[in-house]
Amino acid sequence: MMPLTELTVSRHNPLVDPSLHIWGWQIAVYLFLGGLVAGLMIIAGVRLIAIRPSQREALVCCTIGPIVGLTGLSLGMFTLFLDLSHKLHVWRLYTTFQITSPMSWGSWILLLVYPALVANGLAHLPEAIPALARRFPVIVTWSDFILAREWLVVAIGLSNMLVGIALGIYTGILLGTFGARPLWNSAILGPLFLLSGLSIAAATLHGILIIHTPDDERPTFADFLLSSLTKLIEAHPLDPKVGPVLAGADNSFLTIEAALLILFLIGNTTSTSVHQQAASLLLGGPYTAIFWVFVIGMGIVIPLILQSLELANRIRHTLAPSIFVILGGLALRFVLVYAGQQSHWLEALNR
Amino acid sequence: MNAPFYSFGLFGDQASLVVAFIIGIGFGFFLERAGFGVSPNLAAQFYLRDMRVLKVMFTAIITAMTGLYLLSRIGFVDLSQVYLVPTFLVPQIVGGLLLGIGFVIGGYCPGTSCVSAATGRVDGIVYVAGMFAGVMVYAEAYPHMLGFVHMTSMGQITLARLWDLPYGLLVFAVVLMALGAFVVAEWTEKKFGGMEPDPKGWLSVRPWRVTPVRVLVLGLLAAGFVALAAGSPYRGNHVTIDTKDLALRAGTGADTIQPTDIADWIVQDRNDYTLVDLRAAKDFDAYHIPGAQNLPMTSLSANSLARNQKIVLYSSDSTQAAKALFLLETQGFKSVYLLNGGIQGWHDTVLFPVKSPGMDAAAFEKLALVAKYFGGAPRETSASTSAALAAPMAPTPAPTVAAPVMPAAPAGGIPAAQHKKKREGC
Repeated sequence: MMPLTELTVSRHNPLVDPSLHIWGWQIAVYLFLGGLVAGLMIIAGVRLIAIRPSQREALVCCTIGPIVGLTGLSLGMFTLFLDLSHKLHVWRLYTTFQITSPMSWGSWILLLVYPALVANGLAHLPEAIPALARRFPVIVTWSDFILAREWLVVAIGLSNMLVGIALGIYTGILLGTFGARPLWNSAILGPLFLLSGLSIAAATLHGILIIHTPDDERPTFADFLLSSLTKLIEAHPLDPKVGPVLAGADNSFLTIEAALLILFLIGNTTSTSVHQQAASLLLGGPYTAIFWVFVIGMGIVIPLILQSLELANRIRHTLAPSIFVILGGLALRFVLVYAGQQSHWLEALNR
Repeated sequence: MNAPFYSFGLFGDQASLVVAFIIGIGFGFFLERAGFGVSPNLAAQFYLRDMRVLKVMFTAIITAMTGLYLLSRIGFVDLSQVYLVPTFLVPQIVGGLLLGIGFVIGGYCPGTSCVSAATGRVDGIVYVAGMFAGVMVYAEAYPHMLGFVHMTSMGQITLARLWDLPYGLLVFAVVLMALGAFVVAEWTEKKFGGMEPDPKGWLSVRPWRVTPVRVLVLGLLAAGFVALAAGSPYRGNHVTIDTKDLALRAGTGADTIQPTDIADWIVQDRNDYTLVDLRAAKDFDAYHIPGAQNLPMTSLSANSLARNQKIVLYSSDSTQAAKALFLLETQGFKSVYLLNGGIQGWHDTVLFPVKSPGMDAAAFEKLALVAKYFGGAPRETSASTSAALAAPMAPTPAPTVAAPVMPAAPAGGIPAAQHKKKREGC
């Protein structure tokens, strides 16, 4: 067969037309992971302060959460790094602080997250993973140092809550301050992403708890893998009593998130023609189906129903709502990042 | 309000996906209540111990079938607008076997795996993950296996059309078959599954006792009898034509399609229309528009055309094409169009376009490219070629300049005429 000869006539060369689509999957994934970490920090902080010395076994929030958070944050920072055009200039963000720049706020908040999470995770690490503590005895020293000082425990817990709230709100405000993108230009995105992050975090911890709890309906190979992993790190059994608390908290987070989403849509549809057009991307436009099915339907309504049935002891606690909430949170970021970049001021002029 | 709602424009593409989600949740809920989210229940079917899969599926089939039949007979549903998956016999048999193997290994079919995953069973979640991975692999491999996927195409056929049976008879036969299957299922459950028949079941209670299930069975039988008597659910010969609408469409030209539009569709390899050449086979062989199907007036019948596609008619005689349009409309076809100017119009505006005074250079350039693509040539004035309909020159061997409208023209020929049109599932 003859090779195809194709000659581009015009405007097919990259960057001839200005590209209005700047942010891709990296940003959506970063915002998701940022929200998850924020939620994990807040839950870990609350739990650290509320925990009594006698219930030391309730460690899913205080130890596993920070470990997942540190991993998630590192992944998120990596995707953010992937998005940078000038990757070697990243250090310059830390030579200045611009009070009006959300990105400057963000880069400094991200720097505070690590020590706060590490301190929170260390507090009960020797009890959660004794094998690790035996290998590195210094962990026990640090843990004892923290637990011996009541004020330090409270300080770590409070700083986790505060930094977590700042991080969660920052992931939304990062989009919200873009005046050029009408869909994003709403302060509701801050609390919306914070609450969504909290719901993802609660669902993640609930999911980890469920995976960890023995279950006779689970395939044997899965149980085998899990039990070998547990034996390997000699972890203590996690406290299943936290499960219903997490599910209940998740229901509240999801409810508030749904209310904020509705407010977000009301705000846009009652605003200028530009904002109405931006909202119409989700109300009849090209993102309608993915928004209502994946974000609202599968991400909020179905997990709410499932978790309510779980809390009413009508069905078993399963992985399903956790997976739905996590995928829904991811879908929310993807829809908003992509739809936001499609909304702009010129379209209203062209009408 | 007429159904199908989507075909009649009650909601758009996006809203239809949201509606599909809600229907899917309902479907999943009832599957779960029937116990289909647990793989041992599904596997028991194959050991003939527990026939609930057969019972539920047959119930669904006859409910949907008699419901659709009756609703279309009273004129609420237009069956011709309901999408039928086209049959590709060999690929679909292979696909069915693959699905069966997956069913045996994983314990679920695609629908029940979603139900199982939604109820939090780990095997269901793994199955769904595997299913999505498979979908991605298939989508990537699809362009390389077009030849196989499009093998043994039989079009959008139904059993009634294949065997030339009355629709009503088929409805009745399937109802009888389903009721027979229920009786056999009760028997096998007793024989292989050791289940005692339900003392309150429809086969067990005293013969003349009226129970809800018996009422349902009688209702289904009655629906089957009605179908037997009522004939075809397609609106066949009983259509009424809105003369006002017909006059309006003819007057405004809403029932004609421009040759340049057809040219664009061919270049874009669109597959939502059927182009019908009404001329005699001899003329068709001499020259026809790429992708056209030859159906001389004498052999024009409703069965040879798909009802849910745009049908574009052309001939050398526009009166003849108009008659064919009317004929098809009386047979209940909804979207039939005339090619403006017929084959002569194609010849004058697509193959040998003329530069009109007001036309800018870029537009004419595009016309010229399209003309070359179809083997014609642009003309500067209308006088330069004879008006006689000549077969165009051999198509240009390889379009070296690809205009934005035709991104990938294969070398040496007219793509739409050569390879089969894609007909994808919904």
